[in-house]
Amino acid sequence: MNTGSDAKLKKPEMWRKGSSEGSDRFEYLQTLVTEFQDTDSEEAKEQVLANLANFAYDPKNMEYLRELQVTDLFLDMLTEENDNFVEFGMGGLCNLSMDPECRDIILQSNGISLVTNCLSSQREETVLSAITTLMNLTTPSSRSEITVPAILQCMLRFSLSESPRLRNLAAVFLQDCCTEEQVARAEQQMQGQQTAVGIPLPKD
Amino acid sequence: MAAPGNNSSGCWGVPDVYKHHEQRKICISRPKYREGRKEKAVKVYTINLESRYLMVQGVPAIGLMTELIQLCALYGAVEEYRPLDEYPAEEFTEVYLVKFQKLTSARAAKRRMDEKSFYGGVLHVCYVPEYETVEDTRLKLQDRRRYIIRAVQNKAREREQKEAVNEEPTSSDTATTSETFIARHNKASDNNNTVKTSNISYYSGFPLLPLPPQEHHYYRHRNQHGTIPTEDKMGTLHNAIIDKKQEQAQVHKSSSSSQTSSDRDRGTEHRLISNQSSAAVRLVPRTTHLENRKRKMEEAAVHSLTDVTRNNEPLIGPKLPEPPKLDMEDVSLNTTVSLIRNTMKQVELVPDLKPVEKKTKPRRRI
Repeated sequence: MNTGSDAKLKKPEMWRKGSSEGSDRFEYLQTLVTEFQDTDSEEAKEQVLANLANFAYDPKNMEYLRELQVTDLFLDMLTEENDNFVEFGMGGLCNLSMDPECRDIILQSNGISLVTNCLSSQREETVLSAITTLMNLTTPSSRSEITVPAILQCMLRFSLSESPRLRNLAAVFLQDCCTEEQVARAEQQMQGQQTAVGIPLPKD
Repeated sequence: MAAPGNNSSGCWGVPDVYKHHEQRKICISRPKYREGRKEKAVKVYTINLESRYLMVQGVPAIGLMTELIQLCALYGAVEEYRPLDEYPAEEFTEVYLVKFQKLTSARAAKRRMDEKSFYGGVLHVCYVPEYETVEDTRLKLQDRRRYIIRAVQNKAREREQKEAVNEEPTSSDTATTSETFIARHNKASDNNNTVKTSNISYYSGFPLLPLPPQEHHYYRHRNQHGTIPTEDKMGTLHNAIIDKKQEQAQVHKSSSSSQTSSDRDRGTEHRLISNQSSAAVRLVPRTTHLENRKRKMEEAAVHSLTDVTRNNEPLIGPKLPEPPKLDMEDVSLNTTVSLIRNTMKQVELVPDLKPVEKKTKPRRRI
């Protein structure tokens, strides 16, 4: 609810503050990105990545992060060996993908398949972020790519998980992103399968 | 604040799925420019971690439920609450579940109440999204999406308004477009340092402001911090801005000096601030030093009986060598002169600590 700040923004002084504050923000975010690219320290990279992912939570920063190509940075993290990189990168994408422009960038950069791979992570946070991101990425044009049987079956298994968060998110996905027929079909296919094909539940 | 170890989860038998309730170890290796006011662990917050449901641990078991809920209600309407008997608790403490009407209230409550003392105990407050129903989760996500879209639209609208105003005769219109161009152009070349310094010059869309008096710089810094929303939505951002100013000062000191003169012409506000603050670090004590000495000299001169003009000499400029001993050929005059000299010596010996301290205080706060 930002109706109060809208009124403030009409004053010229606020514009100035806004513009210098915005450029301050941009510069700071840029510094973070630079540090991430330049540093050799894995630990520093993790910290900066977590910072950026947290900044992605505030819509004020989304435009700057987009300009700094942090969306691509997060996507790159999904194929890293380091589980923290994956978790933080996935969290960043979960945050950014709420913004329609970031969503489109992710979709254009083969995001669906990269995010889908994260559904098989052993880290619960990573999986949760992936499910949420897939929901955010669902548009009329991308729906068919997201509601494929493999993903639906995965969600069905998650909906039986011990973890309430996983259960809830999977349930929302199945209810909001797919039709009932699609879900029913996936259920049938699962019952037909004897071997555990598909995506394992996360351990932690 | 040191991280109290809630690492006794082993003996508590907390199921693995609730690892996110545990406090993680605080990160101690952050470089200064991105250190927040409060030390924090390395953790990423997403909408999945947050919830209208909070769990409050560490409440002293002396019948404080009402007081606790009253405290929570300061941050927003509380919909439900109950003691969580099923959750393991430390001896003599209780655990409560509190459901807020709004996520923003829960966020504020968590931020303000976590790690705070409460009737002799220390509260540990965390989100507990696992208590949500499917409907709760769905609504949470929908609200979040709606908020983001609205915020993004507001920002776009605000930017359009700003550009409309800037279409008046200033260079800022070309500045904003060229800034975007440069940002993109330099991104491609991946030369972040160039982007940083050149973007500084282009981001000023407004004419050079008169420099405020030096003392006020630090207050301006603080005012700027004050206007930045401190809501937890942005994580550590509000903490970061403060240190970022310091970092800016460092960065600008180390950046090429050739930029400095041209940028002074363009008049970027924050660049000036950082230049000023670095200059201020050197200038202020010296001026005050001299002014203070001058004041004391004047005080001493008031008490002296000799010609004022003669005493004015050492008042101007830095410390002069001791004036040659003059024989006034009169005993009383000589006595007077030596008395005055002694007073002046004493005055010079007094260290000017006080005014320097006054000047450093604002700096220390930053």
